[in-house]
Amino acid sequence: MSTVRSYLRSAKSIVIGLASIATFLILWEAVTRVVNSPFLPGPYSVFLAFIQISTVGDIDGYSLGWHSAVSLYRVLLGFLAGAVTGIPLGLFMGIKLTVKDVATPIIEPIRFIPPIAWIPLSIVLLSGLTRFTFLIWVGVFFPVLLNTIAGVRRTSITLVNVARTFGADNNAVLRHIIFPSALPEIMTGLRVGLGIGWMCIVAAEMIGGDPVGLGRLILKYANFLQIDVVIVGMVTIGLIGLAMNYAILLLEKRMFRWRVEVTT
Amino acid sequence: MAAMFTVEHLKKSFETENGTIDVIDDLSLSLEEGRFLCIVGPSGCGKTTLLRILCGLDPPTSGTILINGSPPDPRKQKFGVIFQEESLLPWRNVFNNVKFGQEINKIGASDEIAKKYINLVGLEGFENYFPHQISGGMKKRVAIARALAVDPDIIMMDEPFADLDAQTRWILQKELLSIWSQLKKTAIFITHNVEEAVFLGQYVAVLSKRPAKLKTLINIDLPYPRSRLAAPFISYREKIIDLLREEIPSIS
Ligand SMILES: Nc1ncnc2c1ncn2[C@@H]1O[C@H](COP(=O)(O)OP(=O)(O)OP(=O)(O)O)[C@@H](O)[C@H]1O
Ligand SMILES: [Mg+2]
Repeated sequence: MSTVRSYLRSAKSIVIGLASIATFLILWEAVTRVVNSPFLPGPYSVFLAFIQISTVGDIDGYSLGWHSAVSLYRVLLGFLAGAVTGIPLGLFMGIKLTVKDVATPIIEPIRFIPPIAWIPLSIVLLSGLTRFTFLIWVGVFFPVLLNTIAGVRRTSITLVNVARTFGADNNAVLRHIIFPSALPEIMTGLRVGLGIGWMCIVAAEMIGGDPVGLGRLILKYANFLQIDVVIVGMVTIGLIGLAMNYAILLLEKRMFRWRVEVTT
Repeated sequence: MAAMFTVEHLKKSFETENGTIDVIDDLSLSLEEGRFLCIVGPSGCGKTTLLRILCGLDPPTSGTILINGSPPDPRKQKFGVIFQEESLLPWRNVFNNVKFGQEINKIGASDEIAKKYINLVGLEGFENYFPHQISGGMKKRVAIARALAVDPDIIMMDEPFADLDAQTRWILQKELLSIWSQLKKTAIFITHNVEEAVFLGQYVAVLSKRPAKLKTLINIDLPYPRSRLAAPFISYREKIIDLLREEIPSIS
């Protein structure tokens, strides 16, 4: 009974979603017809540009798939760097409040410097892959760190005591109690961090040597005033970000069934 | 029989912003191997504090505690502690919760032993359930199985059945006694339910109000299983209630 109802509801929301996208595309097309400017392409010419870039490639011969793959590679590197630094430091700061007290006044102001503001400095100090990785890392690190700390802080003292009365040392408490109980928050941090890191891709690729990557594609065609390709690049960034977020959400749901059902 | 467990002149005080508060003051107590001791006392008198010291979670301010001749240290001795609050790991199923103590204890987790204790507490068939999928009484059974699975030298329980309904509590009391009489483990059971203490304990230690001292140690000289309606049971119960009433004058 309730499954039928929830099935109907999800079918209904899919229909509404599709209708909403269709309406948006129609409105967009209508506006471009009215404005009739070469700088505001409609969905159809964006679609044609999409086919062109995907199959033939851009003026340098790189296809959309290759641009996406290169950008993904850069973002994943920065993401890994963010995870590898953010998780251990977050665990440490969550457990040792003195470490947190020492690190917070340094970290908090840095947290509000947007990745774009790091570009000039990174141009001077870094080059190539290290620069991409660093700029993505700036976006990934803080959500991972802060969520990890929050996860550690909500570890149940009783569970720590249970482990201690069985003879656990600090290592065992970390491994068996604190880490698994913070894991849902850590995963949230990774998901948010990956999203932000991905959104930093245009900033990271703003200056660069080789002309590949979705960010470079957008900037290259903005110089040519070929806005349809610019929009292809933007939409691709949006869709890939959406897909990654959804994939991690599914993973989280599977991993933390115990928690989803506890909280709902 | 030698005392497996002795507490001498135990004191515990905490430093707070409002000054020092004495929670336990000059408490002495001992218990022989394999015996069942219940500890009752008025609410807030320091029972949980006492248990935390006994299992080595907190150090005493002064005094000595010996368990099998040495101060309590969960890394050298094996304790089975059951807390009043929810204490199962929510991300582990029943089976892996029961194995948890063994894993930590470095005695090597054994599936057979975990199974054995799951069966002993009557949870056969629930191995794959997660804590949020079982009832409060079942969670207590899992906690008991987990504590027993490390083959502890002593088992300590802090009001384990306090938040269960009366019927479930009675069933678990009976099962706890039957498990205890099979395994002959030294057991300490904290409760503020006097009837529960008289039903379970060979001895009942009555504590004073805070700071806790041993007010009286009563030997409950009744064979198991005990009937709650028998005259001697009732007279033990009334005697203890009277002792507690002296500690809380407002109850009349
Ligand atoms: N870490 C602490 N710091 C300061 N005071 C504490 C601390 N732990 C316990 N106390 C105080 O010690 C007293 C006894 O607490 P405890 O939890 O041992 O009581 P209890 O007998 O277990 O009570 P209950 O029957 O309600 O479980 C309380 O007044 C409490 O405020
Ligand atoms: Mg208590």
